[in-house]
Amino acid sequence: MNNKRPTIYEEFKAKGYSRREFVTFCSLMGAWLGLEVSGVSQVAKALEAKSRPPIIWLHFQECTCCSESFIRSSHPLVADIILDKISLDYTETLMAAAGHQAEKSLHDTMTNYKGEYILMVEGSIPTKEDGVYCCIGGKTAYDIMQEVAEGAKAIIAWGSCATNGCVQAAAPNPTGAAPVGKVIHGKPIINVPGCPPIAEVMAGVVVHLLAFDRIPALDSQNRPKSFYSRRVHDTCYRRPNYDAGLFVETFDDENAKKGYCLYKMGCKGPNTYNACGVIRWNNGVSFPIQSGHPCIGCSENNFWDNGPFYEHLKSFPGFGIESTADKVGLGLGIATGAALGAHAVATNIRKRKLIIKGRKEIEAESSND
Amino acid sequence: MANRIVVDPITRIEGHLRVEVEIKDGKIVDAYSSGTMVRGLELILKDRDPRDAWAFTERVCGVCTTVHALASVRTVENALGIVIPPNAELIRNLMFAAQYMQDHVVHFYHLHAFDWVDVISALNADPAETSKIAQSISKWPKSSPGYFSDLKKRLTSFVDSGQLGIFANGYWGHKAYKLPPEVNLLAVAHYLEALEWQKEIVKVHTIFGGKNPHPNYLVGGVPCSINIDDSNALNAERLALVQKLFEDAKTFVEQVYVPDLIAIAGFYKSDWAAIGGGLENYMAYGDLPTNGINDISSFKFPRGVVVGRNLNELHEVDGGDPDQIKEYIKHSWYEYSDGDDAGHHPWEGETNLNYTGPKPPYDQLNVEEKYSWMKTPRWKGLPMEVGPLARLLVGYAAGSEEIKEVVTEGLGALGAPVGALFSTLGRTAARGLETKLVANWGLEFFNQLMANIKNGNTSTFNNEKWDPNTWPEEAKGVGFTEAPRGALSHWIKIKNKKIDNYQLVVPSTWNASPRDPNNQMSAYESSLIGTPIEDPENPLEILRTIHSFDPCISCAVH
Amino acid sequence: MEQNILKLDPKLKLVYVWQQPVRIFHWVNALAVLMLCITGYLIGAPLAIQHGTEASFNYWFGIIRAIHFIAGYVFFFNFIFRLYWGFVGNEYSKWDNYVPYKKKQWKGIWEVLKVDIFQLKLGPYETIGHNSLASTTYFMTFIAFIFQSLTGFGLYAAMSPSWFPKLFSWFVPLVGGDMAARHLHHLLMWVFILFAMIHIYLVFYHDYIERNGVTSSMIGGWKFIEVNEDEDKMNED
Ligand code: HEM
Ligand code: HEM
Ligand code: NFV
Ligand code: SF4
Ligand code: SF4
Ligand code: F3S
Ligand SMILES: [Mg+2]
Repeated sequence: MNNKRPTIYEEFKAKGYSRREFVTFCSLMGAWLGLEVSGVSQVAKALEAKSRPPIIWLHFQECTCCSESFIRSSHPLVADIILDKISLDYTETLMAAAGHQAEKSLHDTMTNYKGEYILMVEGSIPTKEDGVYCCIGGKTAYDIMQEVAEGAKAIIAWGSCATNGCVQAAAPNPTGAAPVGKVIHGKPIINVPGCPPIAEVMAGVVVHLLAFDRIPALDSQNRPKSFYSRRVHDTCYRRPNYDAGLFVETFDDENAKKGYCLYKMGCKGPNTYNACGVIRWNNGVSFPIQSGHPCIGCSENNFWDNGPFYEHLKSFPGFGIESTADKVGLGLGIATGAALGAHAVATNIRKRKLIIKGRKEIEAESSND
Repeated sequence: MANRIVVDPITRIEGHLRVEVEIKDGKIVDAYSSGTMVRGLELILKDRDPRDAWAFTERVCGVCTTVHALASVRTVENALGIVIPPNAELIRNLMFAAQYMQDHVVHFYHLHAFDWVDVISALNADPAETSKIAQSISKWPKSSPGYFSDLKKRLTSFVDSGQLGIFANGYWGHKAYKLPPEVNLLAVAHYLEALEWQKEIVKVHTIFGGKNPHPNYLVGGVPCSINIDDSNALNAERLALVQKLFEDAKTFVEQVYVPDLIAIAGFYKSDWAAIGGGLENYMAYGDLPTNGINDISSFKFPRGVVVGRNLNELHEVDGGDPDQIKEYIKHSWYEYSDGDDAGHHPWEGETNLNYTGPKPPYDQLNVEEKYSWMKTPRWKGLPMEVGPLARLLVGYAAGSEEIKEVVTEGLGALGAPVGALFSTLGRTAARGLETKLVANWGLEFFNQLMANIKNGNTSTFNNEKWDPNTWPEEAKGVGFTEAPRGALSHWIKIKNKKIDNYQLVVPSTWNASPRDPNNQMSAYESSLIGTPIEDPENPLEILRTIHSFDPCISCAVH
Repeated sequence: MEQNILKLDPKLKLVYVWQQPVRIFHWVNALAVLMLCITGYLIGAPLAIQHGTEASFNYWFGIIRAIHFIAGYVFFFNFIFRLYWGFVGNEYSKWDNYVPYKKKQWKGIWEVLKVDIFQLKLGPYETIGHNSLASTTYFMTFIAFIFQSLTGFGLYAAMSPSWFPKLFSWFVPLVGGDMAARHLHHLLMWVFILFAMIHIYLVFYHDYIERNGVTSSMIGGWKFIEVNEDEDKMNED
């Protein structure tokens, strides 16, 4: 194994960039991360001193859209990330090697960088039937996950699949799909939910790790606070319409054409923690709500089973797709009203009996007199 | 003596694909293709709101993102008899075109190129020479000697770092690589440029669907409204961005992708235009309606089946015919209520997972029995190849002038006969040629959309059947599309306003499936037969042919 | 008049059951719940008011929500006060009336069910404060109050700059996220609506059947209780 690992600054120099350009790059990155000036020099220092950290990116039950999203990153550009900032030693989507050679790449990194590599996981891990629902190179995803997690310095769980199981974990979860956090314990896990997560959020998490050499501040669900501390609703530019009670009533109606709030179309923005409203998608071009579709809550646990997507509340289990809490509640209300009515009638019958009985008693008493 | 080799994981694809082949006298004599991951989406879709299905099925795949959403909304619209407004059709077509360009370019540079391009050899290139070659094949501006020499420096320092990252353990130096170092350097340059470019064209999805991957769709139309007098809907600024994205994309396809393809193919046509042909039947459902989805004759990509490579006859595809499209599970890890030899039309489809393979960890699959999570689709009992090549051949057989022209032009540039299309190289070339068509069509659709808006037609959604109370008690439907990898269909049965059965019959399933009850191979397996393997330890040739299909296994299994 | 009736029926005696704080709690609570149900329902299903004006000139939905949150605070602290009173108040408002942990209470529940609901049996059962079934129902209502406060303030934590709702934010992930919390919160509204329907009906029903002045007892505090030999027995065991 070649141990000659130049630092990121050295690589910059080798590419013909000047020190000034390097610092400019760092401050750009710092500005983008929203850092103070002191933070910028910290970024510069960090990148100056480090060789490219080895990364293993595992793929399990996934649709690979997290990888696809990652390669959409505009800042930093993904080519710059994989050539200059990290050493992406294993990812089935992009790596040149295949078969045994690919497995060799995996094992080289696991042995040469034990305790140093960062493990990124895309996809969930099936747990039913001993994990036969996902095998790679003849081994189960479950076993591979355990083996590779062992020597990892930290784990990043990309997307909803790896953080909450996503679509394959939706009822009835035929394969027992489980997120990373459910099968790996005792390792730091950074959850980056979203289906997929925003490209720049993914890149941002990587940059954070590299630049500060530490795990970003996480919330109670291990999500980086920098991207998941606020609801879509809180940063949604349609929010004034919500407060003003201006709602789209049907798709493409006059209100939709004016960009009113999509709450009544089932928008899950009020219950969804994600950065869509601020960072937006694909280098800030738009996000679901801006393009007229309600948020479906794609970064929330269990969001597939919180549908239907075009209802504000999820359907009531066991009562069909159209049964909201209100419909069920109203039904029960009517039933209760009817029951009370019936009870009132029965009460009056009973009371009449009591009255008759009372009269008889009085009659009996008076006749006794 | 036959020698079994296994390639697992097949990388630079989407999903988990395993290939086992038998080699005899330096050639593949038998091949088995296996999908080794399943999620059970067809089971998950049951009992849900049909209007939500697009979002679930879209997550079948993030690489060909949008195509399952498109198939799904069409399926539900078909079942409920919804006709969408012309603008919605055009916007869907624009998203379709954007998807093709992104997907095909990424496939060529990022998933397929290393089968033909030796990155390490690029280190020995003369940048000035590369510049000359670049300028001779295209007027793409980034082609100065300085540009290539900077790139070479960057590549050299990367390799010198000792951390080869995604390039580690490739088949570098393999005898089957034939490009001179200068062309390799050119390809590496465009690998990086394409990586940067592909994130631009997908912005078309972001504008209309709010994000990419996984833009939003809507049963009955598209979710985005048009209002040229408001900043919250599609207005002049948004439309100008769409136009620019299509214009830039067309430039990239014409000045980078297609010239590179022709240049690289020139070095390999002597052998690879005769290897990897495989099946002789091709099927396309057709797509890109210009007069509504029900007028098949208006499709830019025609529908039909070519049997036995006979381009003079086109067979009709009828989704409603219970005997045409069927799925089998003889060699798949499922069970049917009526036994392993039965075939099921998708409306009667069953998805019951039933693993009977070897207990992991395993070295070899039991290929005599069941060996894949893919079902095996057949058309009138015949295996079909689907994908770009099938689309062009069906278009050719259907007499589409535009398709004939681009095929003739492409073959002319390569100096190859029509027969060269039936090969690994033909498949790869067909993908590039159709991208060129789609790049033009994208601008056509855009102009039509602009004309509609100018005439005051801004409707993008049909509300009539949105409310489930307007639906019949029972309904069934099918939605067809041409995904980048080929003919895609979704099938739905709706009962009590809920999904009663939902089945996906996917392009990569047609191509990558295991054998059927009659032991007929599907496209991957059959195209590998006869392929020469120079070095069984480094089976680069397997990757070439398999990659020429652009496998997507999360699609194929779902 | 009353004098008259009292004289006519020497078996009735007047008992001071509901102290003033309980009565204040009750009506503040009833009012807050009413407001919360109305505003909450509107939050879940806003009216289609189509303004011709711009968003910046309107705030009706914001106001509905503000009323909900203010009523939410009133509801919560009023409830906390009642919990406190459960320890310091008179014997009828003590907490142990409500928590059905004694066998006698369960027996009482069955008794009331038989008489009042299924009408299997004629004739009265004896209680001065709440009857056993009622107290158990109130107990469950109190639990629902707790959940409604946890989900309400848990959701509110995300939209309020104040520290107070943040104290509740731990609860939301516990039930599976904001969406689930909101669903639960919304469902509980219906629980309260159903409770109120039955509750108000039964209060009038008891007045009608037992002529014990239960309705007005929540206003004046006094109830008419039949003097009965069994009464002392019941209080003993
Ligand atoms: C009897 C008590 C209450 C009832 C019946 C009630 C009812 C409701 C209902 C029906 C909703 C609409 C849910 C939906 O469909 O999205 C709602 C929302 C809400 N409630 Fe309550 N609620 C009660 C108490 C509280 C309390 C104590 C709080 C604490 C502050 C609270 C805070 C909220 C919040 C924050 C929302 C979401 C508002 C938004 O997203 O703008 N609620 N409530
Ligand atoms: C016209 C409306 C109402 C009337 C006449 C009324 C009357 C009463 C009466 C007479 C009692 C005492 C019952 C007994 O001795 O067992 C009572 C208790 C109670 N009521 Fe109401 N009520 C009304 C509305 C409500 C509403 C809307 C709620 C809230 C959901 C509510 C919640 C309660 C509770 C929790 C108790 C138990 C009080 C305690 O023990 O502290 N009431 N009510
Ligand atoms: N096969 C396949 Fe797809 C495509 N194209 C979908 O239908 O790749 Ni993900
Ligand atoms: S999280 Fe969603 S987007 Fe990412 S791999 Fe999973 S299904 Fe695809
Ligand atoms: S569109 Fe959705 S996120 Fe935006 S304000 Fe309305 S409800 Fe909130
Ligand atoms: S659906 Fe997902 S992409 Fe953002 S707006 Fe909602 S979290
Ligand atoms: Mg299927």
